Amino acid sequence: MADSDEEYAGEASEDEVDGSQISSRGGAAKPPRSKRKKNRGGAEWEVSRTWESLVEGADGTINSTVEGLLEAGKRKRLLRDTTPLQRGIIRHLILVLDLSHSMAEKDLRPTRYLLSLRYAQEFVREFFEQNPISQLGVLGLRDGLAVRVSDMSGNPTEQISAIQALREHDPKGLPSLQNGLEMARGALFHTPTHGTREVLIIFGSLLSSDPGDIHHTIATLVSEKIRVGIVGLAAQVAICRELCSKTNHGDDTTYGVALNEQHFRELVMGVTTPPATFSQRQSASSLLMMGFPSRSVEAHPSLCACHSNPSCGGYSCSRCNSKVCGLPAECPSCSLTLILSTHLARSYHHLFPLMNWVEVPWARASRSLACFACGITFPPVPPRDQWQAADVQSRGMSVSSRYECTVCRNNFCIDCDLFAHEVVHNCPGCQSETTSSTTPGLVQVADRMDTSA
Amino acid sequence: MNTIDATEHYSTSAHDRPPSLLTVILDTNPHAWAQLSSQSALPLSTAVANILVFLNAHLACNYANEVAVVASHTQKATWLYPVAAASPDSNQPPRDKDGDTPMPSHNRPPPPHEMNKYRPFRIVEEQVTQNLHRLLGGTTADDLSATTSTLMAGALTLALSHINRRTIAWAEAHGGETDPNAHANNTTTTSTNTAGGAAAASGGDKASTESGLQSRILILSVSSATGAAHQYIPIMNAIFACQRLQIPIDVCKLAGDAVFLQQAADATKGVYMALAEPRGLLQYLMMAFLPDQRSRRHLILPTRVDVDFRAACFCHRRVVDIGFVCSICLSIFCEPLEKGECLTCGSVLEMGDYGAKPAVVARKKKKKKVRGPGNGASATPTPTPTPGP
Repeated sequence: MADSDEEYAGEASEDEVDGSQISSRGGAAKPPRSKRKKNRGGAEWEVSRTWESLVEGADGTINSTVEGLLEAGKRKRLLRDTTPLQRGIIRHLILVLDLSHSMAEKDLRPTRYLLSLRYAQEFVREFFEQNPISQLGVLGLRDGLAVRVSDMSGNPTEQISAIQALREHDPKGLPSLQNGLEMARGALFHTPTHGTREVLIIFGSLLSSDPGDIHHTIATLVSEKIRVGIVGLAAQVAICRELCSKTNHGDDTTYGVALNEQHFRELVMGVTTPPATFSQRQSASSLLMMGFPSRSVEAHPSLCACHSNPSCGGYSCSRCNSKVCGLPAECPSCSLTLILSTHLARSYHHLFPLMNWVEVPWARASRSLACFACGITFPPVPPRDQWQAADVQSRGMSVSSRYECTVCRNNFCIDCDLFAHEVVHNCPGCQSETTSSTTPGLVQVADRMDTSA
Repeated sequence: MNTIDATEHYSTSAHDRPPSLLTVILDTNPHAWAQLSSQSALPLSTAVANILVFLNAHLACNYANEVAVVASHTQKATWLYPVAAASPDSNQPPRDKDGDTPMPSHNRPPPPHEMNKYRPFRIVEEQVTQNLHRLLGGTTADDLSATTSTLMAGALTLALSHINRRTIAWAEAHGGETDPNAHANNTTTTSTNTAGGAAAASGGDKASTESGLQSRILILSVSSATGAAHQYIPIMNAIFACQRLQIPIDVCKLAGDAVFLQQAADATKGVYMALAEPRGLLQYLMMAFLPDQRSRRHLILPTRVDVDFRAACFCHRRVVDIGFVCSICLSIFCEPLEKGECLTCGSVLEMGDYGAKPAVVARKKKKKKVRGPGNGASATPTPTPTPGP
């Protein structure tokens, strides 16, 4: 385990196309400055001139370029790192929302406040979708104080209704990062060591009015292995960058400033992916005792132990037989973790990610006429002399509109590529062939996983 | 641009119900069919004939309804209908042997006795039987001896890809909500973590819940789950995808029993039925599986209340109520590990006090009790009560 990071560092930098996630690998290999700059998202839009990349097609329209750009955009999101990193699957995260008066700004529609509340709700839902056995709590920063919005729990609906209730209030006063961090630290203090401790701050202000020295707080956070990520809404703030960099072992990619609504959402939703574990600061892993209850249906309603609501169906704790109405939950009487085995399975695609598919040049494109999965026909192969002309389009996108799985060698269209990597996490080609080659990708990955873990 | 026009137009015409896409996954595992036809006299040919009637019934419900059929065979999963244009891909020998695109068969004049058949019915019937013949003809003895399981995960993935494609196509053709802003407003749909990346996909899945193409999957399963262990993760991935896209998976179990499929039907709110009398297949299909999602809201569905959610441990494949889970790779074990080393990922785990046995005061003049490792069940039952755990 101890040397897993070095092992992957070299390979990872080859995979890396965009400097997207990789550099979160930690202090071992500090990414070059230029690469880091890309991640800030701040500086790039000022110089990129999108109109210059438009090329008029043969028919005098820009349709082909626009379509190309769309496809490139889809593809860009796909090309993420597929190294099977060890990830912190069991997470403990505190979401800190800025509720100060700077959130009343209307530069994000309808206001920063309402938009971040909406994204916070989506975040909570997606977080529990991706990390079903994790815990989450919500805090707010208002009037120089940290306000508790909801307690740490594993139930998304409670958190969402708590965030929903914030809509009634108006953003007010100044935020205090230090107070928020201290309160988050207190909430994470009792969490077991096998899980991660994370704080995500959505921060719209350019200042923090603190009662004491925030650097002391940062030092305590570092010693308690709490990782902080910040999504800024206004502009880069030096203390935020320092905070992220120090608590993430010198890696400040967890600090992002939103350019627009879309980018804001991407930054927030990016946090739902479980973070890679740093071997240097490896949290103690442990064996957890969990119950897998079966569902029972009763003729007469009875009260559940968790909410005291009468209900006919429910799950009875495998150890003490008390009834809980929903899973995952912690048994209220014997505090055994109760989950479904499907909840565990939901996290497997983080552990065994599907390999990225590669672009197919025209030279190899004649092997296939149609997408293997959905059967849509590919554009025909043009004569050889036109091959170069088409190559000007952006990187990461296939000139022939074909994408190939490196394991089963089948070709797919961009939509299936997107669908397979983002929704199903299966390769239609690999799964549709004989057992000998059923899951070579998976086996490979599992092997590599073995070495890393 | 002219959204006002469009919405007006579609709200008025929205009274005709949006079409639904039915994808049937037919388990063609020859081993299982051989067993089934000897036991209960339902040969594959009869079953296929019944399924074709069922498909026709679905097509007849709405002129815009669509069907798709995937075969989950022993050595590959492949399309029976609609078949893509033949590709020179070496992975699909049966399909490219004749090198035909399916088009000529559409245009070919039908045999005289089928002159008056509704054309969509005829196309489905021809293609399904043709491709099934080709699939079974292309199966060699070696393929059969290699494995007895069926590639359900592949078939599910293919079916989902097709549904995704049709949903996108339908939304484009009908001005559906492929607008990323529209999907940002939608808070009920679970969306993928890269925002607009799934604009098309989740726009589609939203559409499928409200006004778009409604899709569902029907699995006709004959194999038992024994061979499916290595497909566990892919099948689970496919189930979660269905859950996200709100596609119900209906399972019609002709023989055997499959825990995964039970969970699939339960997780996606589909119908699970194990047929008591397989010869009545057509009636079951028509009664239980023909109604689409909208009609199902008004029906009392055959539900299965006692779904087995217990997990199988990775070490002995025992089914457990209480298990021990590695915090790194989430493997499930039925008893605390001997050395505290995870058998799957090899990491050293902190054991807590799980393995500890309570200290037993040695009794005088009694044999020392031998305990099985880890659990409290004593190997030799003693008539007198012992201070066991």
